[in-house]
Formats: sequence, C-alpha cells, structure tokens
Amino acid sequence: MKNKIKKNFKQKSFFFEDYNEFEITFNKKDIYLIKVSSNRIIFLFTIFLSLMFIFSIKIIYLSLYPEKNLSFIKINKNPILERRDIIDRNGVILARNIHIYSAGVRPNLVKDKEKFLLKLRLILPELDSNKIRNKLNKDKFFYIQKRLSPEKKDKLWLLGYQAIVFEAKPFRIYPQKNLFSHILGQTDDSNVGISGVEKFFDKDLKNKKFLKSSLNLTLDSNLQYLIREELINAQINFGNVGSAAILMNVENGEILSLVSLPDYDLNKRASINKDIYTNKITLGVYELGSVFKTFTLAAGLENKIINPNTLFKNLEHDLTCDKYKISEHDKLPKNLSAQQILIRSSNIGAVKIAQRVGVENYKKFLNSLGLFKKINFELAEIGTPLSFKWGKCKLATASFGHGITTTPLQMARAYAILGNGGYKIEPFILKKKERTMEKGQQVISTKTSNQINSILRQVVSLDEGTANFANIKGYEVGGKTGTSLKYNSNDKLNTFVSLFPASRPKYVLLVMLDEPKAAPNYVYEFPPSEKFPNGYKYTGEYRNTSGWNTVVVAGKIIEKIGPILAINNLQASNNF
Amino acid sequence: MIDHEKWIGTLPIIKNKDSDHNKFSTNPDKWTDTIPTIPKQKTKNGIKKFSLTLVLFVIGLILVSTIKNKTRNLQKEIYDLKASISDLGADLHKATLDYEVITSPENISQLAEKYLETELVYYKKSQIKKLNEKTENPTLLDITKDSKPKSKIKLKVAQKIEETKIELQKLKELYKQPEKIPDEIKISLAKKIEEKKIKLKKLYQNPKQSIDIKKIQQWGAFQLVKVFLGVPVIPGR
Repeated sequence: MKNKIKKNFKQKSFFFEDYNEFEITFNKKDIYLIKVSSNRIIFLFTIFLSLMFIFSIKIIYLSLYPEKNLSFIKINKNPILERRDIIDRNGVILARNIHIYSAGVRPNLVKDKEKFLLKLRLILPELDSNKIRNKLNKDKFFYIQKRLSPEKKDKLWLLGYQAIVFEAKPFRIYPQKNLFSHILGQTDDSNVGISGVEKFFDKDLKNKKFLKSSLNLTLDSNLQYLIREELINAQINFGNVGSAAILMNVENGEILSLVSLPDYDLNKRASINKDIYTNKITLGVYELGSVFKTFTLAAGLENKIINPNTLFKNLEHDLTCDKYKISEHDKLPKNLSAQQILIRSSNIGAVKIAQRVGVENYKKFLNSLGLFKKINFELAEIGTPLSFKWGKCKLATASFGHGITTTPLQMARAYAILGNGGYKIEPFILKKKERTMEKGQQVISTKTSNQINSILRQVVSLDEGTANFANIKGYEVGGKTGTSLKYNSNDKLNTFVSLFPASRPKYVLLVMLDEPKAAPNYVYEFPPSEKFPNGYKYTGEYRNTSGWNTVVVAGKIIEKIGPILAINNLQASNNF
Repeated sequence: MIDHEKWIGTLPIIKNKDSDHNKFSTNPDKWTDTIPTIPKQKTKNGIKKFSLTLVLFVIGLILVSTIKNKTRNLQKEIYDLKASISDLGADLHKATLDYEVITSPENISQLAEKYLETELVYYKKSQIKKLNEKTENPTLLDITKDSKPKSKIKLKVAQKIEETKIELQKLKELYKQPEKIPDEIKISLAKKIEEKKIKLKKLYQNPKQSIDIKKIQQWGAFQLVKVFLGVPVIPGR
C-alpha cells in the first residue's frame, strides 16, 4: 500500500479527471483491512481487559473470604467441633466430641470376594463370615463395622481396597464413665441431646458462636467420686437397692455433687428404661419421713407459737386420726420440749406442734420453702410433688413427713433456706460469671434459722439424738434423719439431711438409701461423746432406721469430702 | 471533414483569457501540496498506540499472574500450616481426653489400690521429728544414722530391721496369690513369713539382745569351724 502511494507521487503527468483522493492514497480494500485490524485489536483488548477485571475481582473476593471459597480449607476444618465440651468446676472434661469411623463396603468394587473376606476376618475376627458373604453377593453397599477403633481403621485402610469406604461420624465421649450419668445424660446419633444436661442445654451446646468454649458446670469430680464410692459401699454394707446424694452450697444453691445409684456407663449407649435408673434426686418424688419435722418445728418458731423450750406434757404413745394410727418409733419420755421433739424425733410431739401451728400457717410455711411446686432446675428430668387436700389428718401426718411428697432436690433446698438465714435460693448446675450472687428474698427470720441450726446440731451431737454417727470431729455437723415406708410395702426409704458447719452452715448434704436392710454384722463405730470419750464399737444391730445406715454413710462422706471443701473454701476452713 | 476555423469562431469570447486548463497546467506544483498525507500519519500513530497498549497490557497480565501465583503459593503455605495446626489441635484434643481418662478419680484409686502399699511403715514420733528436720525421704537406717551415733549396735539393729523388712516383703509378694501356690510351698512360705514377723518384732522389742545373741552364735560357729580345721581357737593369744 505504501509503495502504491509513493508511486503516485512520482507521476509526471497529472490530470484533473485522473485525480481521486481515495484512489491515490487508499483503495477500498486497504481501508477495509485497516478497519478490520483495528477492530481486532480493540476486540482483543476488550477481552484481555475484561479477563483482567474478572481476575482482579476473583483475587479480591478470594482474599476477603478465603475459607468460603477454597475447598482444601474445608477439608482441613476440624469437624469434631460440632458440640461443646462439658467441664466441671475444676476444668475436668466430662463430655467431649471425637470422630469415630465406620467402615462400609461397595461389593461391586471387590474382584476376589473370598480373598477379601479372608483379609477382613484377619482384622475383624468377630465378624460373621456367612452374613458378610451374603451381603457381598447382593452388590449393595453395607457397613462392616461401626465405631471402629483407630487401630482397626488403620489396618483396614492399609488393605488398600477401593471397595472399603470409611465414614467419619462425631461421637460423644464421657471420660468419667458412670460418674455423672444422671446429670450429663446422652446424645443420639444425630448430635441431639436426649437427656440430662445434654438435652437441657442442647441449643447452647450446639451454638456455633461458642463451639470453642466449654460449658462449665458447678460440679466437682472429686467430690462426686468420693460420694459415689461411699454410696456403693453402703450398698455392700446395708444391701439397699438404690441410693442418692446431693451436696449443695446453702448460700447460693450451687450444686457440687449429685449422685443417683444405680447409674450406667454413658459410653455404652445402652437403653435405660427401668425405673430403678431414675434420677432419684430430681425426678423421684418421695415421702421423706421425719425430715419434715424440722419444718414443723420451724413453722412453730417462725409463727412465734412456740419457742425451743416450750414443754409438751403427757405426750401419748399412740394417736388415731380417722383410720390412721400414729405412734412413736421408740419409747420416749412423756414430757418433751419443742427442741427435744426434734432431737428425739417424736411423731406425736410433731403432731402436737403442727396442731398448734394450724393448717393455714403450716401450708403457707411449707409453700414458702418451695416444697410443693415443680422446681426450676437445669435438667430435663424434674419431678412434680403429688398434690393433695389439706385436712386435720393430713396436717397430722404431714407434720412428721407422711402423706406428703417432694423431690430430694426440693428437700435439700428447703434445708438450705433454713440454714442460710432464711434466704430463698434456686439450685443450679451451670457455672455462669454473670450469675448474681445476691441474697434472695428472706422467707424465714434469721432468728428461726439460727435456732433450727442449733437444734439440728444437737440431733447429731447429743447422745439421745438420732444421728450420732454423723458427729464428725471438726465439721460441726447438724442434721435430721427421716425413715419412711414405701407405698404398699414394708421396705424403707431412709434419708438424712445434714447442714455443716452448724454454727454457720455452708453446705447441705442429703443422703438417701432405698430399701436398706439391717446390718447385724456391720461394726458401728460410735464417735467420742460425754459418756464415752474415746468412742466405742458396736455390732449386732437389727434395726434399719435412718440412724443406723443413712447417718453412717453421711458421716463417712463428710469425713472424706470435708478436707476438700475446707481446702477449696477458705471461708469454710476458717470455720473449722 | 471538420472545418476548424469555422468552429473556432463559434467559441464564446471569454473575458478572462486564462482558462482553467491553462491555469492548472502551467502550475502543477500548486497541486502537489494538496495530496493528503494526514491519513497516512494517522494510521501509523494508531498502530503505535495500540501496540504500546498491548505491550503494557501483556506486561500487566504477566505481572498480575506472577503476583497472583506468588500470593497463591503463600496462601497455600498458610493453609498447610493451618492444616498442620489443625492436626496438632486434633491430636491435643484426643490427648487431653486420654489424660482425663487416665487421671479420673476412679482410675487413680484403682492404680493406688494396685501399686501403693497399704501396710504403712511404723515410725516413732521422735523419729518423725528428726525426719522433718534433716532429710526429706530417709529410711529408718538413715534416721538411726543421723540420731546420735552412740554405738555401732544401733546401726546394726537398723540394718537388720531393714533387711528383715525387705525379706518379709519379698515373702509376702510370693504369697500374694496363695491359690496358685502348691500346698507344701504355701505352708513353708507362711511359716517363713511368721518367723520373719516374730524376728522383726523381737528386733523392735529388744534390739541389743538379738544382736548380741546373733554375735555369740556367729562367734561360736566360727570357733567350731576353726577346731574342725585345726586352727588355733584364739589366734595370737
């Protein structure tokens, strides 16, 4: 094209009619080519520019949200974190999720089925070969074993079969096995809590915001273990079919230990349907017997109808109210003071006090302690006390704890209120920083509380008291025994509620034995007293009331847990 | 045929004698400048601009891809590190769980039952005082050594007690599972244990006497051997 133009310039003859601007410089084809080439460049430029733009956007996007977009990060993401850990007050792990592998087989990928079966049997000898052979022939995917141990999983993996498929599933592990079975509860295969804390705090435990933090409970593994051990020993010594205990801080309602026997290993995932496995502390509703006498006396003192020294003269040995016959459990003096009625656990005396208090006052008093309404507690399994109609006879029987039901948890709370100066508390097991530690509403006067604490101490410390075996040196134990008969049965349900140290109670311990037997071969060790400064040993006892079993167990528990409580609580150690 | 002259006169008289033809034919250079050169220059500049932009664009692309590759490598490295952290985290996760199982109160009490001695060694109060004052973990032997070395007898008594205790312990270990031991050996073991206990008791009750008797017995036996071998009974005397 250039040559053409130059040629045109050298032309000598020039005529007007020859002149055509386009013909001289560019012909149509040239112009077309120029246009095409420029369009191509523009087109390429646009493509590259748009590619660069797309790349830039992609880079910016990836740098802003790397985790969402890069698949290999997803692989590395820890899938174990699907449910939070549960820990006790000292940071001991009570529940944690791990990954457990299941191995399945795709039979269509197995070439030599007999050889495959042989290799499988070497690693998993417990497998039924015939079943597996049949399944292999059906060409449908099937699991050979669920919840493989890491060693077995590695061995299977090393076989190198494409046909073996591994599936990782989260699995909840409870390192303390049976220790907290009634509190922690369980989860199902789809990571949903089905009982206990796992159910009650299901949403919290699965909350993705807090997956890295643990759910802290107020419980103490060491205390729990020591209490459980003593309850197991009690089963050996007194042949009871079940037992339960709860240890609570009386000032704020913090639960330090909650044991119910028999228990079960949470890791074994067996289905627990029998009534005997009920959480006796929170779900069980019982007639708890003479432990109610404390409330009867407290109601009298609070309403200023009696004082601790008010004398009740000529107390009968038996009473009849409608068809009910009320009698004393033992031979007792005819004249007893109000405090003596509690110390010696006089049924007739309790009836007399209740009669003076009156139905309305008594009912109001028990209601203020929260004994009849369903308690608000952080577990899924909560029992509701049975409702009944108040009457003269009901007042008489209720005064010594018969015909009136509640849960041991509510009983422990009521004793805690009596012991802490009369302030209402709500038991809890979830440790929260924001939980207010302010005292609740005062439902009983401090004076009544102090009087009751002093009398409860005498129940344990005086020879005529019913709970001498719990008189552990240095811990100032106070408490009240309760023996009741189970419905339509001669079997007993024995309870002992203790407060310690009695001068300023810090803890309440409730121990309950279900159907304890007399233990004539058991050697009872009486603690030092005025009569016997060195104490003495005694055997051949055929009674199986609370004083002869539950109190013994409670005493041993306090002896063991006392040092731990004193070490962990300077306040307590200062008191001892 | 055409008559030229006839036709010449027919041409109209033109006032301006210079016809367009003459005018242009006499001065052709006048037209030379009118040749359009601008389009030619325009095309050259456009190509230059395009090529420059293209070069810059290609350089930009190369730079972007290089930087992108580098950042990608860095990111990969970061993710690898994160993955290894995650693996370590998972290991720690399992290890802490193992730790909890091993240190659970139940396990500890089982281990204590299995390995710790249930029969505790008896020490006198005075011995405990010295123990606190001087050493942290002394044996009875050390305690006796530390406490006023009045004579060698005390040391010997202590040695004897320690030896007897060790022997007794060994015998007890042998006797741990009596159902697995044959009856004859069982009886002899039980007897030996009893003997050692009595010996230990005697050592505690009257240490000096036991040492003296032993010494006399040894001396007597030694002399008898000497007589038997024909060696003088009291040499050098």
